[in-house]
Amino acid sequence: MIPFDLQEPASLAEAIALLDPDDPSVRPVAGGTALMLMMKAGLFQPTRLISLRRLEGDLRRVHVDEHGDLHLGALVPLSKLELSPLVAEHAPAVSETCRTLSNVRVRNVATLGGHVAHGDPHMDLPPLLIALGARARAVGPRGERWIDAADLFVGYYQTALERDELLAEIVIPAPSPDSSAAYVKFTALSADDWPAVGVAAAVRRREGVILDAVLAVSAATEKPIRLAAAEAAIRGKSTSSGSFDEAAEAAAHEVEPLADIRGSTAYKREMVRVHVRRALIKASHS
Amino acid sequence: MSPQLRHISFTLNGNSVTAEVAPHHTLVEMLQEQFHLYGARESCGQGLCGCCTVIVNGRSVSGCLYLAAFADQANIVTVEGLAKGEQLDPVQEAFVSCSGFQCGFCTSGFILMVNQLLEKNANPTEDEIRHYLSGNLCRCATYPDIISAVHAAATTLRKE
Amino acid sequence: MSTHVDAPAPVERKAPTTTQIGRSIPRLESRAKVTGEAEYIHNLRLPGMLYGKIFRSTVPHGRIVRIDTRAAKELPGVFAVITGEDVRALIPDPYYGPAFHDQPVLAIDKVRYVGEPVAVALSEDPHIAEHAANLIEAEYEDLPAVFDEVEAAAATQVFVHDALRPAGMFPDLKHLHGRTKTNVALDFTLRRNDVEQGFAQADYVFEHVFRTPTVAHTALEPIVSVAEPRGPQALTIHTSSQSPSFVRSEVARLLGWPENRVRVRTAFLGGGFGAKLYIKLEAMVAVLALMVKRPVKISLTMEEQFYTITKHATTVHLKTGVTKAGKITARQCEAWWNGGAYADIGPRVTQKSGFTAAGPYDIENVALNSYAVYTNLPPAGALRGFGIPQLVWAYESHTDLIARELEIDPLEFRRANILRDGRPQATGTIMHDIATVEVLDALSSAMRWGESFDRGKGSIRRGHGIAIGFKACIAPTTSGAIVNLYGDGSCAVYCGTVDMGQGSDTVMAQIAAEVLGLDPQSVSVIHPDTDVTPYDMATLGSRSTFHMGNAVRLAALEAREKLFAIAGKALEADPSLLTVADNGVSAPSGRRLSIADVIKSTFLMQAGNIIGTGSFRPTYTSPSQGDGQSDDITPFWMVGAVGAEVEVDTETGRVRVTRLVNVADVGTPINPGIVTRQLNGGALMQLGFTMSEAVRFDNGQAVNASLADYKIPGILDIPDQTLAKIVAGCQSTGPFGAKGVGETGTFAVSPAIANAVHDAVGVRIFDLPLTPETVYRALRAAQHNPLEDQQ
Repeated sequence: MIPFDLQEPASLAEAIALLDPDDPSVRPVAGGTALMLMMKAGLFQPTRLISLRRLEGDLRRVHVDEHGDLHLGALVPLSKLELSPLVAEHAPAVSETCRTLSNVRVRNVATLGGHVAHGDPHMDLPPLLIALGARARAVGPRGERWIDAADLFVGYYQTALERDELLAEIVIPAPSPDSSAAYVKFTALSADDWPAVGVAAAVRRREGVILDAVLAVSAATEKPIRLAAAEAAIRGKSTSSGSFDEAAEAAAHEVEPLADIRGSTAYKREMVRVHVRRALIKASHS
Repeated sequence: MSPQLRHISFTLNGNSVTAEVAPHHTLVEMLQEQFHLYGARESCGQGLCGCCTVIVNGRSVSGCLYLAAFADQANIVTVEGLAKGEQLDPVQEAFVSCSGFQCGFCTSGFILMVNQLLEKNANPTEDEIRHYLSGNLCRCATYPDIISAVHAAATTLRKE
Repeated sequence: MSTHVDAPAPVERKAPTTTQIGRSIPRLESRAKVTGEAEYIHNLRLPGMLYGKIFRSTVPHGRIVRIDTRAAKELPGVFAVITGEDVRALIPDPYYGPAFHDQPVLAIDKVRYVGEPVAVALSEDPHIAEHAANLIEAEYEDLPAVFDEVEAAAATQVFVHDALRPAGMFPDLKHLHGRTKTNVALDFTLRRNDVEQGFAQADYVFEHVFRTPTVAHTALEPIVSVAEPRGPQALTIHTSSQSPSFVRSEVARLLGWPENRVRVRTAFLGGGFGAKLYIKLEAMVAVLALMVKRPVKISLTMEEQFYTITKHATTVHLKTGVTKAGKITARQCEAWWNGGAYADIGPRVTQKSGFTAAGPYDIENVALNSYAVYTNLPPAGALRGFGIPQLVWAYESHTDLIARELEIDPLEFRRANILRDGRPQATGTIMHDIATVEVLDALSSAMRWGESFDRGKGSIRRGHGIAIGFKACIAPTTSGAIVNLYGDGSCAVYCGTVDMGQGSDTVMAQIAAEVLGLDPQSVSVIHPDTDVTPYDMATLGSRSTFHMGNAVRLAALEAREKLFAIAGKALEADPSLLTVADNGVSAPSGRRLSIADVIKSTFLMQAGNIIGTGSFRPTYTSPSQGDGQSDDITPFWMVGAVGAEVEVDTETGRVRVTRLVNVADVGTPINPGIVTRQLNGGALMQLGFTMSEAVRFDNGQAVNASLADYKIPGILDIPDQTLAKIVAGCQSTGPFGAKGVGETGTFAVSPAIANAVHDAVGVRIFDLPLTPETVYRALRAAQHNPLEDQQ
């Protein structure tokens, strides 16, 4: 790696003050696992990194508020999400997703905030956070604001966060008793590969009927996106495989997968179809 | 460009130590250059192979993706810290008795990861072993013997 | 067959009482490897050492117009920046290679592939060297490039090299004449009887084309070399090399020095698999060190390994004639080997593997053509199997298709045509000590072949498949060894075999210990150091146990003769009646002296040495030009068969190998535990080449040169059960009956899996790897509903 400067502020306010809205070579770093990859490959050459590792408090906390909403601090390592009893109780699909997310060492170091703010479309949690209706709290020099997870990802490695904003927490709303969610991924080259397709589904159902569903796809597309046509196709339908097929068909039509070494556009479209169906089955049976 | 060196202190395999590191130095680089510990070694450079595994504050990290500066005030354990004098630790013993290695380049990482696994789960199933070690690669593909070694070490540790 | 022995061979006076052979003792280096303390060149730092970082070509074929190193040289901390022109000032003709002297130390005039080394930046700080390399700029005049091996072989306009420059170092490559206006570096031809007549006798003729992609070794210790000048007249090279003897002679040749001024040493290798053979970084660091008069280290990154050496992509055409009853009457094979921009050992792969391209079958009429082809891709060389897995992929997929078409059980079809001991192979060499039939029988039983099994339902379908391959050990090659008994009776074996994980140190210690009556764990094996250890051709091609094993055995026997001569006096016994065991020599009278006391009896104190030397080179007859016939093509044959059980997800095309059985003829295993691990390791490595691994190129640029995008098997990818079955036979010419095993596990994995996929879902894959998309597309095509790619 090519030399750079490192600053280690002790508070969120101090960290935000050190960020430079006009200089893309200044970036915050939490666990650093993703950023270091880019730096080692020469894809990103920072002049200055702002380390968040000395920041404490709610940023590192997992808790449930009086409304039953699950608050996940941005600096919580993914391994803590994986093992947290609170997460297992309030968002079991998140715990389960973390179990096969990258590897143990990455999960020990990488943080939820970094995982989301990196904007890499291959990350596992973003589609699930979209499906669960999560919101992100961003803090910047102009104060804080809330961003729906569905609006957070604006392009390939691009998020709605400004350069001088930091994620403080992700909040997953309290699930209704009739809802359930699941994430399925398809890896094309090896079991531990980056996903070629990731699909998250959250459904509300009553007496064999899907009241509504939120579906999101990632990895195959340039950013995690909601599958509006597929959601519409299944709303009010029965939890039978026939209606899942219709949603899968709609999803295959509405996505525009990017071809890469993990699959062609046509193939990934088929895998979106298969995995939308599998995600709906899994969500409806959990 | 010469960013300032910073002075850090930490515990390394039970001893208090200090080091001078630049921001762009990685943990594995510091261990090799300043402490002549070569058991953690860079291979893929992407945190995928596990050859650079180091234990920081009781958790495994990829030393090639971990800035040396972040070791400040930490408790660091490397594979060199496992044996007590001549006495290998039970995981090391199991890797010897089951021949859980060939070229040996990935072995330190596997041994540290297995130690972590068995701390958390005294009697892992084969499926749990495979999932826990999915981030460690062995190009010699000694995997079947590594799995045997984990079972053997677990048995030993349960008796202790 | 007979063996040529350079040293007088002491006669074995009685049947050996084997106590060390067949024992699965732990590896000698176990403790060092589990404590992280094993020595690798990766670890080496020398006083005053500079780190080199390579600046590489970004075009596949181009004339160098300009290399601008100014900004790099101005960066504080940069010691020097060296280009090909600078190298030429020191060495007028700086081209190296085992088969052709075609590869420049740094590019001169032209670049021939993306990733070719063009310049090197040197600094005491590796980060500064890296930064400086990033500041180098080069301008190229683009030349048309050629990437496909079949197109390149037929090219009439685009040539990777203006003229071919054969090296003539290996005896069997001497016939490579320089040629111009061609990309074909070697065209090997074999003709046995009349293939056309064989096709005329057949009831059916089948033709298929099979392909394999470029794949990469990705040894976890990336290639690393350090050169250390010892004044202007001598040089030490510390290198992660599988062929230190070759490095010495080739670097000496480049420098115009006698070999005794170049010392090459290795340590443990963190994997080799063929990547670390011949010259990789050694010539570069040697030249740089002499130019800057400082030690120079270059460590590749994982990514850079993809630009340094690969395994040949291939296209193989097969045509087979067969009778209704299932007897193969003729087989024709044309194989194109994509050698990349520099020949490396490709021509040897082309010939040495080429002559087995008809498979382990008894076929009267055979015609084989094998072409080593230059292209504008990274150089291809040896990778665990030396071309055999590519050929077995073709002939065992093809053979299975024929059996299916004839509705003959695939195992029975193979058994009916198998090449048996005592029968001539396609070269005319009579097969000896080859357990083909026993291997098929063992496979049949391990696979419970013929029994019914759960074929799955819904989107999960199951099938099983088998395949068998064989290989001739490379010839003619030489190994030398020294066995040294020190004054205290302890023993060291000096041999040039490189332990890169295959366990050679342990096996050599077991052989020496067996002869000398020692505990193998007490034997020290001196790692290759060309100033100390005798010549060895290289650690490759499963040759070491056989060749070096024989050399070590001969050396140990000579040391024992000397020991007995001394002990005979001390024990007042006829030396020819003495025996060794438990570190001592015994006479028929019952009198016994420890080895230490025997040595003391002649040196009068704890002093001196008893040294035995051994040199081993088997006999060999070069294949004749034109028909490739030879009555003595190889010192021994390896046979490996594989059975695979698979599950196919028909909705995704994903194949999961649930059980992988490999069966190998290993002669008499010296250390069965190590043999089993070699077989399983080879099979699982080949599993990666079968399921996922392929270096993908875009206009010559590798687009997945990292372990993030080039996926090697992880622990979740290996089958539920991986099983190695040893068929123990006896290689009559091997040390204690042993033969090589390092590659055998790889041979038949790929076609066994493809044959199992065919069995499960009825589709045939002709091109590796069996990625989910490849299988999915084949499934869709079989349903007459091909997956359409929209524009």
